[in-house]
Amino acid sequence: MSPSPSILSVLSEDLLVRVYGFLDPPCRKTWRLASKEFHRVDSLSRTSIRILRVEFLPVLLSKYPNLSSLDLSVCPKLDDDVVLRLASNGAVSIQSLNLSRATALRARGLETLARLCHGLERVDVSHCWGFGDREAAALSVAAGLREVRMDKCLSLSDVGLARIVLGCSNLNKISLKWCMEISDLGIDLLCKKCKDLRSLDVSYLKITSDSIRSIALLPKLEILEMVNCPLIDDDGLEYLENGCPSLQEIDVTRCERVSLSGVVSIVRGHPDLQHLKASHCVSEVSRSFLHNIKALKHLKTLWIDGARVSDSSLLTLSSSCRSLTDIGVSKCEGVTDIGMTGLARNCLNLKTLNLACCGFVTDAAISAVARSCRNLETLKLESCHMITEKGLQSLGCYSKLLQELDLTDCYGVNDRGLEYISKCSNLLSLKLGLCTNISDKGIFHIGSKCSKLLELDLYRCGGFGDDGLAAISRGCKSLNRLIISYCGELTDAGVEQIRQLEHLSHLELRGLKNITGAGLAAVACGCKKLDYLDLKKCENIDDSGFWALAYFARNLRQINLCYCSVSDTALCMLMSNLSRVQDIDLVNLNRVTVEGSEFALRACCNRLKKLKLFAPLRFLLSSELLEMLHARGCRIRWD
Amino acid sequence: METEDDLCKNNWGGASSSSSSKRREQVCFTSQHKWEDASILDYEMGMEEEPAFQENSNNNNGGQVNVDFLQGVRAQAWDPRTMLSNLSFMEEKIHELQDLVHLMVRRNGQLQGRQEQLVAQQQQLITTDLTSIIIQLISTAGSLLPSVKHHNMSTAPGPFTGSALFPYPREANNLASQTLNNNTCEFDLPKPIVVEERESHVVEEHEMKDEDDVEEGENLLPGSYEILQLEKEEILAPHTHFCTICGKGFKRDANLRMHMRGHGDEYKTPAALAKPNKEAAPGSEPMLIKRYSCPFPGCKRNKDHKKFQPLKTILCVKNHYKRTHCDKSFTCSRCHTKKFSVIADLKTHEKHCGKNKWLCSCGTTFSRKDKLFGHIALFQGHTPAIPLEETKPSAQRGSSACENSNNNNNTGMVGFNLGSATNAIEEVAQPGFMDGKIRFEDSFSPLSFDTCNFGGFHEFPRPMFDDSESSFQMLISSACGFSPRNGGESVSNTSL
Repeated sequence: MSPSPSILSVLSEDLLVRVYGFLDPPCRKTWRLASKEFHRVDSLSRTSIRILRVEFLPVLLSKYPNLSSLDLSVCPKLDDDVVLRLASNGAVSIQSLNLSRATALRARGLETLARLCHGLERVDVSHCWGFGDREAAALSVAAGLREVRMDKCLSLSDVGLARIVLGCSNLNKISLKWCMEISDLGIDLLCKKCKDLRSLDVSYLKITSDSIRSIALLPKLEILEMVNCPLIDDDGLEYLENGCPSLQEIDVTRCERVSLSGVVSIVRGHPDLQHLKASHCVSEVSRSFLHNIKALKHLKTLWIDGARVSDSSLLTLSSSCRSLTDIGVSKCEGVTDIGMTGLARNCLNLKTLNLACCGFVTDAAISAVARSCRNLETLKLESCHMITEKGLQSLGCYSKLLQELDLTDCYGVNDRGLEYISKCSNLLSLKLGLCTNISDKGIFHIGSKCSKLLELDLYRCGGFGDDGLAAISRGCKSLNRLIISYCGELTDAGVEQIRQLEHLSHLELRGLKNITGAGLAAVACGCKKLDYLDLKKCENIDDSGFWALAYFARNLRQINLCYCSVSDTALCMLMSNLSRVQDIDLVNLNRVTVEGSEFALRACCNRLKKLKLFAPLRFLLSSELLEMLHARGCRIRWD
Repeated sequence: METEDDLCKNNWGGASSSSSSKRREQVCFTSQHKWEDASILDYEMGMEEEPAFQENSNNNNGGQVNVDFLQGVRAQAWDPRTMLSNLSFMEEKIHELQDLVHLMVRRNGQLQGRQEQLVAQQQQLITTDLTSIIIQLISTAGSLLPSVKHHNMSTAPGPFTGSALFPYPREANNLASQTLNNNTCEFDLPKPIVVEERESHVVEEHEMKDEDDVEEGENLLPGSYEILQLEKEEILAPHTHFCTICGKGFKRDANLRMHMRGHGDEYKTPAALAKPNKEAAPGSEPMLIKRYSCPFPGCKRNKDHKKFQPLKTILCVKNHYKRTHCDKSFTCSRCHTKKFSVIADLKTHEKHCGKNKWLCSCGTTFSRKDKLFGHIALFQGHTPAIPLEETKPSAQRGSSACENSNNNNNTGMVGFNLGSATNAIEEVAQPGFMDGKIRFEDSFSPLSFDTCNFGGFHEFPRPMFDDSESSFQMLISSACGFSPRNGGESVSNTSL
């Protein structure tokens, strides 16, 4: 039998590359297994990769020569030595590097990396709690950096920021969220030296209005996020009225000292503003606010959560800003059907609507929104108790593009409502937590029709059982996240069905007292991609389940075993075999001895990034172990 | 013989008009009013045998009027009427003095057998009066100067307009002090030399700012204040207030007053305990400003210096003298390099010595972060340096801990350790930080389960990668100049 002619005789390589370009990531896996040619196309055209294990790094780097983006954020054991190897393994052409949560990474590795990767433009080192001034100085060697994300680098101070600012003067995006040591001095220097800055995130920082004065001098700034800056006040925002001429997006959510007048001064100075997020700092939508906001003809996003809004003001608002696509009015007092109906009539392009905790909104408003805003993609109705199946019916009829629906704590939702919702076949995310009136019947509709669903939250939905879960497992094959915590009816029979969900990565089984080792074993066996598993208070799972978990759930990264009856041996097995585990909660394990904990932790101490332990163990575990954990950058929370 | 009422009416100091029987007290009184400052006053009192406290409170008004009058002269622009009144006043004064001398001559005839003490006192009294007349004359003349100056300015507005005029008052000043010095040798005039200058012309002072902590921005007209000068011994004396009874010294007058209570009930009266400075009635005009001169010749703070800048208080004098003209005898106990002559300076320094030095890459250190950041923002290419601190002792500690734990572990783990036979060999073969962990894991992973028993296990063959790690490390360390073991140090070296 002669070999079949190459696919290249029909389709040239560049055509193949174009076809490949249209594929979703899961399909690409199938593609590269199809033939040698396809595999070759895959390896040549792939530009970004997320690596799960450091061990495969050299092989993957040699396989994919054209990589420009490398994500190492979920790798365990990522430390200086790995990074040094990375640099020598041809990762020199990398432009974008994600080192988020690489807690063991220190200045030595970073500096080599920064020296060797000349093309480096984007670096993410967020949540590296070991990332301090020394590391920042090492990173500043990469002079070509344009984007730096340093969220929650708790030991980074103004000095470190100054090093980065002075080393990389072409920065145009920087995020300093939760870098609590950063003060006005650092921000001032940043604004003086990096004039090209387009995006700046200073959320949660203890900066004052002096910083805003410096920020106002940035000529190109487009996006400014300052969520929950407790020291910034209206006087500070006044600087922005005449500053930042290119500003398009601003977020002043939960800034305690900012009031309506501050927001008005921003609006007055920037008629081209597109996104205004002022949740929980505007107390009331006043006439002056409305008057000024009318001038914003390009406004797309408006978040005024927590403000007092009257129907008439909602009408005025929507009639002047007709291009609005994203409105957040959660927890707003005074939002009623009249206002929402008017808004729906005016804002036909609405894509996202957040009505969480607006208790007076009824089916009439939802129907009006569904009828008028046919492009609606996201609808958040958490705690809207008046919503019943009538409202959901119109959603099912008209909102064919709906992707995300949050019905948490809407106890008006019943099986019939779910039946209507299931007509929204494009749903990707559905949250039904605390909806106690739904049963297997309703869940069955979801399972049978919403095949694209990626996320399903059934937290404390006590009304459904194994059959419902089986229907979901059969129907929603692409499900990524499944939350069935405290659904007391579920037993092994239902949970075993979860094994059909091959793509499942996040599973919460908290408080399921009826499941045993058999159920867990089936899940572990089937869900190969499982990355997050919450087994808290699953008291009846025995060691057989944990043994299976240890052998099959090889991708597990985060696990919560609090109140589980895991034994010493099983815990040691788990911790030594799960080579990707990085974040574990081990509180209240009755059958585990101190020695057991010690052994288990020793087995995985070079991988751990976060650990929650029973507080008295602090004095019972060996000090070498604790020091080792600390040296590897592991954060321990004592409970 | 004149009464106290007369004194009060009289604008000029009461010495000349007082009776001879009261002379001693009167001398004391005049001198007292010339040194307003409490400490000098007390010093003066210490020298006298009998402090004239009771007299003080009564005579006070007279002195006050005197000062008021002087200030009135200073404050006003030149006015012929004032001038006239001044002149007539001086005339009156000279007449009085004449009368007094007449009286003395007559008395001398009567009391030939009197002690020489009285003679000296008489001389003293007359000299003082004469001095005050001279000073008054000078100041009256000085009040003419502004008009002269204005005239000059209008004709030749050069840079020296102010200083060109300066010689007049200075000469007058010298004249006054000379007369004083010539005449005061014999009698017991207090040591600080008092010079009253009285001009109301404006002289612009451009030079300012010494290393001392005073006179920042103070723009006193020369001559609008009294200048006092203490001697070196006084400045350096540890105590400036002495008990007249037991001789005990005190740093503060208040302490002395407290001490005095122990010497008898007369010191316990509110008047004795009151702050001597505070007796001026509220609402009265402020006293003439006192300024101090440094006794060190040639010093800018010395009154003979061309660009003399006075010192504000006695404390300033003391600090200035110690800082500038004395040895620095106090050494910092932390850095052993910085020396100070004022102990307060040492204490201030020690508080901050070695703490939070904000360092720039250029080597400059700053005590405050904002100063460093200002410096960095200003100069291109300067970056904040990161202090050397301990270069990763934690990691090294961790590695040693790991090795220790590994050793412990192997012994303790026998129960678990079912299949790792190669451990011992690996331990020898792989040196370094990483191995501890690798070995550790290896010792764990081949537990009693065989991979073949479970189908799913083949998907993740245990990578052999870890074994090659050490060789990798060696390669990189030689290539990049980094030694994996003490890399922290090399980094810090390059970053500085």
